[in-house]
Amino acid sequence: MNIDLFATLIALLTFFGIAALMAISLNLEYGVAGIPNFGQALFVSIGAYTTGVTYTRLLPLLAGQEAINPCGATLAPALQLRSEIMRTMPAVGLGNFVLTLLIAAVIGGVVGYAVSYIILRLKQEWYLALVLLVGGETVRIFVRGYQPIVCANNGISGIAGPFAWVGNTQTASILFALLVLAFAGAAYWYSEKLARSPYGRLLKAVRENEQVARSLGKNVARIRAQVMLIGSAIAAISGVLFALNIGFVSTNDYVVTLTLDVWVMVVLGGLGNNRGALLGALLITLMDRATAITAIQLNRLGTDIEFNYFRYILFGVILLLMLRYRPRGLLPETRFTTPAHQYLARSQETGDARSP
Amino acid sequence: MLEVHEIRKDFGGLRALDSVSLTVPAGQIVGLIGPNGSGKSTLLSVIAGMQPPTAGRILFDGEDITHAAPDTIFQLGLARGFQDPSLFFQMTVLDNVMLPVKRQRGEHPWYAPWRRFWNRQEMDNAVRAGDRLAQVKLHTQFDRRASDLSGGQMKLLEIARCTMGSPKLILLDEPTAGVAPALAYDIFRQIETLRQETGTTFLIVEHRLDLLFDFVDSVYVMHMGNVLAHGKPAEIETNLDVREVYFGD
Repeated sequence: MNIDLFATLIALLTFFGIAALMAISLNLEYGVAGIPNFGQALFVSIGAYTTGVTYTRLLPLLAGQEAINPCGATLAPALQLRSEIMRTMPAVGLGNFVLTLLIAAVIGGVVGYAVSYIILRLKQEWYLALVLLVGGETVRIFVRGYQPIVCANNGISGIAGPFAWVGNTQTASILFALLVLAFAGAAYWYSEKLARSPYGRLLKAVRENEQVARSLGKNVARIRAQVMLIGSAIAAISGVLFALNIGFVSTNDYVVTLTLDVWVMVVLGGLGNNRGALLGALLITLMDRATAITAIQLNRLGTDIEFNYFRYILFGVILLLMLRYRPRGLLPETRFTTPAHQYLARSQETGDARSP
Repeated sequence: MLEVHEIRKDFGGLRALDSVSLTVPAGQIVGLIGPNGSGKSTLLSVIAGMQPPTAGRILFDGEDITHAAPDTIFQLGLARGFQDPSLFFQMTVLDNVMLPVKRQRGEHPWYAPWRRFWNRQEMDNAVRAGDRLAQVKLHTQFDRRASDLSGGQMKLLEIARCTMGSPKLILLDEPTAGVAPALAYDIFRQIETLRQETGTTFLIVEHRLDLLFDFVDSVYVMHMGNVLAHGKPAEIETNLDVREVYFGD
């Protein structure tokens, strides 16, 4: 079998970037702030469904044409129309892409913000995990049965990436991979800065003891809502990129196993450590691709074993082993210090915190 | 400073507080004593907003805080220490004292990534935190985990942490519980120093009466959810009712 190594590498980097966004989002929510969000699939799917809607309804309007119903009898002309626009009108394609990201981030963020207030009504925050797990699946089943969003269980195919107008498929993939990595880099930068700021100190305090944080004047409900808003917006953006990368929006992609994949990434990498989240995303992406390729190879050789399912067993085993032997992950959370520590150390040495 | 009017607190069928009234004048150290289960800690929780009262009214600095949330009450200038040291044990000593500072610009998700918005404030707060830690002799241990401190140091850190929010009134629940006698005296001296230097008012639940009576201006005695007596330490020591329920005489 011939494997185009370069194309594989580009595909891997793209998958890694998208997984990194999901892992950074969950690490911020659970690793740093202690909110057990088991609704990652829900927030990622919000991005994907938004993509399905904007690329079939908004895109033609931006191009000055009438939108065609993407489902049923008009499926083919609708597909042709959006492919044509994406190929020939770069400004419209990129504009639609930016708008999709914005809309997805806003919807994801608002839903995350609203969901965080459920915590106030629950006796224990771990019940939130259940609410989100069930809520995500409920939304998925609704979308799968409701035609107007993404053509129910048929999904929407032929969603071209933002660089389809470049012409050369490989160049377009490289550009898209770079764009995805840039988003992952920005999310990493933001959450790393956040974790090392007074806000990070506040989040860790809320994570460790909510009652005491409240007694020290911190509005815990508002803080959690802010974190859910940010984390869910990042997850929704990853959903847009996920849908554009595979060129297809199907409700089957946003099942509970997606949520579990992201949890494995964060637990494997190290809770509360953004670098750990990146490492976890990388390892899981590699394993994911490796098992997929092995499955294809084994099927070609005529083996009856459906190796794809081994992936889930493997992830389960990894999770159990990590929780048993390295519960803090491969890269445990560092006792990183807010700048106050440097200032105080400096002031104790020189008598002045502001000296260089 | 603090006026508690006929506070009642029921837990199901159990009446923990039955019409408790007390007054804490500004700048004073007031003691709150009573046998176990007399309702002292419940009263502190109710005042600090951790548990809503069933009936009654609480005024702090003239403002009604009866049903205010704990964070609002802290923002108004009323801080509370816990019976078991309730530190953020995974965080450093310094981060523990930095947290309660009010109106931190870096505690906002939009400003936090950009250090220039909060750098100067963080520096000033760090220096202030260093001074507070020096007062309780913890300044050399500022970058240790709070969980590494001894029981007495934890109590001192908790008091230092309370003061970082510049409170007008601090409620302390057994500040010397589980602390060696020498350090226990030290803790009360710190409280006295704080009162003199910053004018902070204190309401303190304490079982070490010898220690408490050396420092307080007046004492309330609670028994079975009621205030049994109130007066200066010397009066309380000779009060027959108090001796009966508290000292078993």
